[in-house]
Amino acid sequence: MKLRATHVLYAAALLGFVLLPQLITVKYYLHLSVLALVWVIAAQGQNLIQGYTGYVSIVQAGFMGIGAYSTTLMGIHFALPVWLTILLAPCVTALFALAAGYPSLRVKGHYFAIVTLAFNLVIFIVLMHATDLTQGEAGISGIPKPGREDGWFDFANRQVYYYFVLVIAVIMTGLAALIVRSRIGQTLIAIRQNETLVGAIGIAAWKYKLFAFVAAAMYAGLAGALYAHYQSFINPEIFGLAQSLDAILAVIIGGSGTILGPVIGAFVVVFLPEYLRFADSFRLILYGLLLVLATIFMPRGIVGVVGQLWARITGKAAS
Amino acid sequence: MIEILQQIVNGVAIGGVYVLIALGLTTVFGILGIAHFAHGSVSMFGGYLTFFMVTAWGFPLLLAILIALIVGFLLGMLIELLAYRPVRNANHINAFIVALGLTMMVEGLNLQFFGHEQVVIPTNLARVFDIGGVTIPELRLYVIIAAALLIIAMTLFVEKTKTGQAIRAVAENRDAAILMGVNVKTIPLVVFAISTALGVCAGVMVGSLFAIAPGIGEWLVVKGFAVLILGGLGSIPGAIVGGLVLGVTEALAAGFISSAYKDVIAFVVMIAVLLLRPQGLMGKA
Repeated sequence: MKLRATHVLYAAALLGFVLLPQLITVKYYLHLSVLALVWVIAAQGQNLIQGYTGYVSIVQAGFMGIGAYSTTLMGIHFALPVWLTILLAPCVTALFALAAGYPSLRVKGHYFAIVTLAFNLVIFIVLMHATDLTQGEAGISGIPKPGREDGWFDFANRQVYYYFVLVIAVIMTGLAALIVRSRIGQTLIAIRQNETLVGAIGIAAWKYKLFAFVAAAMYAGLAGALYAHYQSFINPEIFGLAQSLDAILAVIIGGSGTILGPVIGAFVVVFLPEYLRFADSFRLILYGLLLVLATIFMPRGIVGVVGQLWARITGKAAS
Repeated sequence: MIEILQQIVNGVAIGGVYVLIALGLTTVFGILGIAHFAHGSVSMFGGYLTFFMVTAWGFPLLLAILIALIVGFLLGMLIELLAYRPVRNANHINAFIVALGLTMMVEGLNLQFFGHEQVVIPTNLARVFDIGGVTIPELRLYVIIAAALLIIAMTLFVEKTKTGQAIRAVAENRDAAILMGVNVKTIPLVVFAISTALGVCAGVMVGSLFAIAPGIGEWLVVKGFAVLILGGLGSIPGAIVGGLVLGVTEALAAGFISSAYKDVIAFVVMIAVLLLRPQGLMGKA
């Protein structure tokens, strides 16, 4: 019965996402919805390393930057088709993640968090200063969109791009669910719960941790590539520390270590600051306050709170 | 040779600021196990406050610093009491998220009160000393001396006083400290008060040596954490050595390699140290 209830929930959520552009009347909200879907992909990746493996990585936006810049630069310098560069971007990001993850996964906890944070800063500084390649702070504009200019696949049309990102976000969410259910995913959860024990029963934990780290980076690289082709403009500003923190918040607010959590969290992280616009200059203060209160009073995220409510209504233990 | 000495002197000044920030972070980490990410923004609040009192109200600099210190002292206690105490027993990631929320709030408050203009605390210390070819601006010298005095005072406080002993006891073994009659409710208050006051000093130094602007606080706290990694989390001697190493590395990198990439080089050094000595330079294995 419980399984059926969650399936209905997933179907309803999917239907909601499909109908969303028809329900939205303000174009700006459609724009935010596309951004939120991009963030769903990035947050699903973050959830693999942070939520399931229990290693807080603070470099997700940096990896998004690598994805965004690699798809853009491959398009410019090698004249590759957009489809191909979008597919190659996560692979390039994975190479960087391998190089960064191998040394940093030797340390745990706060050390790991701070080392990844340093990686994000390094990526940001290089994007800012390697002006020959990245054009620095001014950024790169006129990034082409995939598809043709006519008919169904006119990706310059915001609604079409919404569905494009939606399909990819659904696929990536499904993939995350498959990973979690697989033996690899179960090992990741075991690492979060007791890494020493995992090592003691003869599993090379570092391989699994590296897998989670690289997979998370590939999600970020894909999200970054989709972002670049959607906005047609990128500069280093949007791949900084603050955005990596947003990815962490999306996972925490939505519900860490759940499949639906990052989806909800990504929308909260994109839409909440917009809704707080009425508060004008108090926006940042209010956003911060909400975060502090949310962490103190609902540490298991929105999914956790809803799950508890559901359990209370149906009288069953929360799954 | 003179050139190298010159860069080292420059590095020691900024390194002193890093040490002050890192001392606060490392005592907080040692005792509560949390990464107090808002520390940089709170420190910058102290710098802004000093600037405001000096320029808008015409207070003498030393009086303004003293008032800012007292405000920092109280603010630290408030932060511990209202933000961190409620998540004391939760997962450490929650305390980190609280720290992020706090950072946003303090950055927002700074923007609200002091605007987004870059400000420099006026000091009127324009003399430049020349010692054997190495030039030291008066201000920089005072910063080095003040930082050294504060570091010595902090070390003596932690090593020699009863309260310091209690702080070390809680950091080492919380349960045993409770059994020995240490009041574990007041110790975090004391630690946050002193850490924040040290942070305010660092904020004033940054504000007079360089400038205060939005975002500087985050930059500073990241440097503080880099120092902690270099020296070893929770270690006070580690914070001192790490801060000076980071400051001097940066100055040498800026002087001889590339000023644009000095932070990159500093982080590469940090990561290299971490690989060779995962517990940090002064950390226990």
